[in-house]
Amino acid sequence: MNKAIVALMLALMCIFPAVVTAEAVKLGFINSITGPEAPIGENLTNGVILAIEDLKEKGINVDLIKEDDTGKPEKSMAALEKLATRDKVVGIVGPYTSATSNADAKMAERYKVPLLIPAASKEEITRQNLQWTFRTSGTTGDYATILLEMASKLGQPKTLAILNENTDFGVSAANSAKAVAEKLGIKLVFEEAYSKGSPDYRSTLAQAKAAKPDLVFMVSYVADAILLMRQSREIGLSPMAFIGAGAGFSVSQFASEKEISHGIFSSTQWTEDVPWGNSKAWYQRYEKKFGKSPTYHAACAYESMMIMGQAASTVGGDREKLRQQLRTGKWNGILGEVSFTDYDGYQNQRKAQMLVEQVQNGKHETVWPSELSAKKPIWPFPGWTK
Amino acid sequence: MAVFLQSMLSGILIGGVYALIGIGLTIIFGVMRVINFAHGDVLMIGMYMTYFLFTLLHIDPFVSIVVTIPLMFLFGAFLQKVFINRVLGALPQNQILLTIGMGLVMSNAVMLAFTSDYKILSTKYSSSSFNILGISISSPLLISFAITIIITVALYWFLYRTDTGQAIRATAQDRGAAQLMGINVKRMSIIAFGLGAALAGTAGALISPTYYIFPQVGSVFTLKAFVITVLGGMGSIVGATLGGVLIGIAESVGGVYFGSGWKDVIVFMVFLLVLLFKPSGLLGTSKD
Repeated sequence: MNKAIVALMLALMCIFPAVVTAEAVKLGFINSITGPEAPIGENLTNGVILAIEDLKEKGINVDLIKEDDTGKPEKSMAALEKLATRDKVVGIVGPYTSATSNADAKMAERYKVPLLIPAASKEEITRQNLQWTFRTSGTTGDYATILLEMASKLGQPKTLAILNENTDFGVSAANSAKAVAEKLGIKLVFEEAYSKGSPDYRSTLAQAKAAKPDLVFMVSYVADAILLMRQSREIGLSPMAFIGAGAGFSVSQFASEKEISHGIFSSTQWTEDVPWGNSKAWYQRYEKKFGKSPTYHAACAYESMMIMGQAASTVGGDREKLRQQLRTGKWNGILGEVSFTDYDGYQNQRKAQMLVEQVQNGKHETVWPSELSAKKPIWPFPGWTK
Repeated sequence: MAVFLQSMLSGILIGGVYALIGIGLTIIFGVMRVINFAHGDVLMIGMYMTYFLFTLLHIDPFVSIVVTIPLMFLFGAFLQKVFINRVLGALPQNQILLTIGMGLVMSNAVMLAFTSDYKILSTKYSSSSFNILGISISSPLLISFAITIIITVALYWFLYRTDTGQAIRATAQDRGAAQLMGINVKRMSIIAFGLGAALAGTAGALISPTYYIFPQVGSVFTLKAFVITVLGGMGSIVGATLGGVLIGIAESVGGVYFGSGWKDVIVFMVFLLVLLFKPSGLLGTSKD
C-alpha cells in the first residue's frame, strides 16, 4: 500500500515538475525620494517598480532594498555604505543626481560593489578610472552635442548664452556646451552659474538679454526651470531658441505651464516615439499605472534595474562575477541595445542615442533627429504669447 | 545702465517682501527676546494656505491675504500661548531649541500631508510684466510691493498711534517697567507673536505667485529674516524695513556685478561690515 502511494507520488512529480523557486536576488536602489529633487526621483521609483514586475515575470525574484538620499551626497554615501556592508546586496542601482552619483561612485569602488547609475549625466563620473561604476545615462557632452548640432542645422546661430545652476550637473553641462559650441563655431557671449533656489533671476536674465544671444542654453532642475522661463518672459528675453539640458525642462509639470513652455527645446534620452523595444506599450502601461506620463529618467531607471536584475540572477551573489557580467553583457530593451564600453576617456559608459523634444502646446513632442521624431520642430522661437 | 536700473528695481521690489518677513521676526524678538527660528516655516504655512485657497476655492493669492492674515494671527497666538509662553523665562538655548523644534514639526507635518513635491501656483499674471524706459517690471512683484507698503504703513500706524500698539512698544522697551505701569505683558506677547506670524504668512502669500512652494522652503527665509533683523538692529521695525530692502538690493546688484554665485557672499559681506562698524545693527540701540 505504502509503496503504491510512493510510486504514485513519484509519478505525479514526474508529470508536474516542482516549480523551481529561484532564490531572490538582493539588490539595492538609492534615489531622491524626498527633498527638492523628489519630483524627478518619483519617475525613477516608478520605473524601478515596473522593472521589478517584469523581472518577476522572467522568473527573477528581486529582494529590493530602497534608500532615500534626499538629494544630498553625504546621505547617499551613507545609504551605499549600508547597502554594501549591512544589507550585503550584490549590486546597486541609483542614485539620481550628478552630485550624489559622483560621491557614490567612489564609495562603490571602495566597497567593491557594482553600481549602475541610471540618469546622472555629469561627464566626470565615468571618467575617473573606476572599475565598479557603470552608467546607463548619456553624458552632458551628449546633451550639448545633440542640442547644438540640431540648432546649427535648423538655423545659423552665431552666439550662445549659458545659464546653469552651480551644481555638479549644471557645471558639467555648461562645460560640455562650451566645448561643443567652440567646435561648431558658435561664440559664447554670456555665461552665468547661478545658485539655485533664488526667488529672483531677473537681473541675471537682463544681462543675458543685453548680450543678445542667438541661443540660450539653460541647465536646471524642475522648479528653477519654471522660474527662469517665467522671468525670461517678464524681461522679454527672446532669442532664436531656448535649449534646456533635460532635467527640469523635460518634466510634464514644466510643459503644462503653456504660456512659458511653448517652443522650448530639451535634450532627452528616451521618448515614447522611439522604435526601441516596446517603448510605446511601456509608456501606456506607465501612464495607466501611475496616472502620469514618464520622463526619460523613468525609462533609464527601468532599463537599469532590468539589466542589473538579469545580470545578477546568474552570479549567485558574487559581486566580481556581476561586474564581469555588466562589462561583457549586451541587453536590448526600451533604450535600444545597451552595453557598457570604454571610449573617449569614459569607462563602463553606455553610448546613448540622444533625442531632442520640444514643448508644443503644453506637450513634449519628439522633434530631433528627424528619423526618430513624430513632429516637426518649431523654429525659430515663436516669441512670447501676450 | 539699463541693467543696473533693472537690478536695482528688482532688488527693491523683492526687498519689500524681505522687509515684511524681517519685521515679523523683529516684533517677536523685541517684545519677548525670543528668536523665532520657526519664522520661515510659519511663512511656508502661509504659502500652502495661499496655494490651497487658490487651487480649491479659486481665491486670487493677493485677495486671499484677507483670509490668511487673521488665520495666521490666530495660529501665531496659539503657538505663543501653548508653547512659547512656557519658555519665556528659560535659558536662551532652550528657547532656540523650542522654536527650531516647532519649525521641524511644521515642515515635516506638511511634507507628510502634501509630499515634498514642488507646488507652483500659476495665475494669469504670474509671468506678466510691463516696460518703462526699457526696464521691465514684473506685475505680481509690483502688486506685492504695493501691498507690502500698505501693510507696513498700517503696522506703523498701529504701533505708534493706538494704545495697544504703544503698549507693545513699551513691553519691547522694558518688560518689567511695562508690567509695573499696568500693561498686560502676557497679552502683548500673544498679540506680538500673532502679528509676527501674520506678517510671515502674508509674505508667504505675496511670494507664492512668483516663487515655488515646498515643505522645506522655510529655511531659506529663516536665514534671510535673521540677517535682516540683525542688520537693522534687533527689535527695530524701521531697521528691519531698511534691512530688508538693503538685502534685496545687495542680492540683486551683487548678483549682476559679481556673478550670481557670489550673491550670498555679497549679502554676508554687507552684513559683516555693518556689524563691524555698528555692532547693534543699523538702527539698533544696544541694551543689556
